[in-house]
Amino acid sequence: MSFLETVWNIFQNNWDLFLRGAWIALILAILGTIFGAIIGFFIGVMHTIPLQKKSFKTYALKTINFILTCYVELFRGTPMMVQAMVVFYGLYAIDIQLNRFVAGLIVISLNTGAYMAEYVRGGIVSIDKGQYEASEAIGMNHFQTMFYIILPQVARNILPATGNQLVMNIKDSSVLSVISVVELFFTTNSVAGSTYRYAEAFLIACVLYFIMTFTVTRILLWFEKKMDGPDSYRVELVTGNKPIKDGE
Amino acid sequence: MTVVIDIKHLNKTFGNHEVLKDVNFQVRKGEVVTLIGASGSGKSTLLRCINLLETPTGGEIIFNGENILTEGYNKEKYRTHLGMVFQQFNLFNNLDVLGNCIVGQVKVLKRSKEEAINNAMKYLTIVGMDRYKNARPRQLSGGQKQRVAIARALAMDPDVMLFDEPTSALDPEMVGEVLKVMRDLAKAGNTMLIVTHEMEFAKEVSDRVVFMDKGVIVEEGPPEQVLVNPIHERTKEFLRRTLNK
Repeated sequence: MSFLETVWNIFQNNWDLFLRGAWIALILAILGTIFGAIIGFFIGVMHTIPLQKKSFKTYALKTINFILTCYVELFRGTPMMVQAMVVFYGLYAIDIQLNRFVAGLIVISLNTGAYMAEYVRGGIVSIDKGQYEASEAIGMNHFQTMFYIILPQVARNILPATGNQLVMNIKDSSVLSVISVVELFFTTNSVAGSTYRYAEAFLIACVLYFIMTFTVTRILLWFEKKMDGPDSYRVELVTGNKPIKDGE
Repeated sequence: MTVVIDIKHLNKTFGNHEVLKDVNFQVRKGEVVTLIGASGSGKSTLLRCINLLETPTGGEIIFNGENILTEGYNKEKYRTHLGMVFQQFNLFNNLDVLGNCIVGQVKVLKRSKEEAINNAMKYLTIVGMDRYKNARPRQLSGGQKQRVAIARALAMDPDVMLFDEPTSALDPEMVGEVLKVMRDLAKAGNTMLIVTHEMEFAKEVSDRVVFMDKGVIVEEGPPEQVLVNPIHERTKEFLRRTLNK
């Protein structure tokens, strides 16, 4: 039997395990990115609230922001594999037994949140001052300005970075196999172990990871284009019998 | 005529730099006032102080009889009474033309969506941009953006319209379309306060022209006086430099 025939054989005999693993990896990545984005937006907004005079509110905000900064630095500065061990076994040690999938999801979300917080902060800072002034000038308060005007633009601007994060999460979900989350790396490993065909099994995993990341990237690109719309606007209304020219 | 905005002894400093020094001035209902002067004379700062985009460091701004600089005065509510048009248009990039004109009405004035759309379309028609209601800001030319910005401000049904050099960022061929809209608004009896470098336009639409230099009001009066037969030397000098270009 040739190498590729063996690969095909292994896939045929174990396709359900492979697809189940890929599915778990994808779900972990997507949910992790969504929860991470929510955490990131929350922190990004907290970090950019304009501080007024010295008051209790200011001190409270500063304290919260200090804690949030600690979280961001900790999670950006340590490997996700280690975080997974610490969270899962750490909670186990104090008698909290989390479902392995849930523990994995928490780790991947917290990790993504730490990165997203910086993207969001950068996104908010980079929005033109005129956008804030225009919203204030029509009587919006800070909350309304952020919610209706600034954050939608930030969301659009950080979409490429978020897509990147999603792709990374699809790949990095594999490290959650250290706490036995049954994702693609974990299932591949067990197939490889039972068939003694490591190269063949992991080649299949490779292809599946690539199909997932490539598809996700294409979908996001298409989505970005759709969000932006065309560069020019066509006036299609007609007055009388003559079509009206653009820019008249 | 009733005084809408009454400014008393207004001061504004940036660090050690005094931008406005003891400015006293009034805007009455239905009046069109233009602020002219060289760059850095404080005219834009004065306009921005009036709607509190800059916080004055001293003095009073009385709006409909109330001092808006009192602590705890509802800044957001006050701003809905003023329509602001910026030099750089500042249309909301995440919203289309119609969205730009209704977001304030719905979210701030709490009007129903239907009412807001009707009102927005009324003003978009006045500025000639109704056919572009679904366009995105980046699909529009500078002149079109500015006309939408004017409609956005008008849609809030403000008491006073403030214009901060509305044509300065425009290509020359687009200045006309914006000035035409403003001329129509002036004729319709809107109360307007305009910072501009367009002297011909100022002469034509203003009820009163205010000349500022180095943070003080040097001269004010009807356009025939300030722009044609100015009393002060500094005004004459400014007009010589501007008109001889």
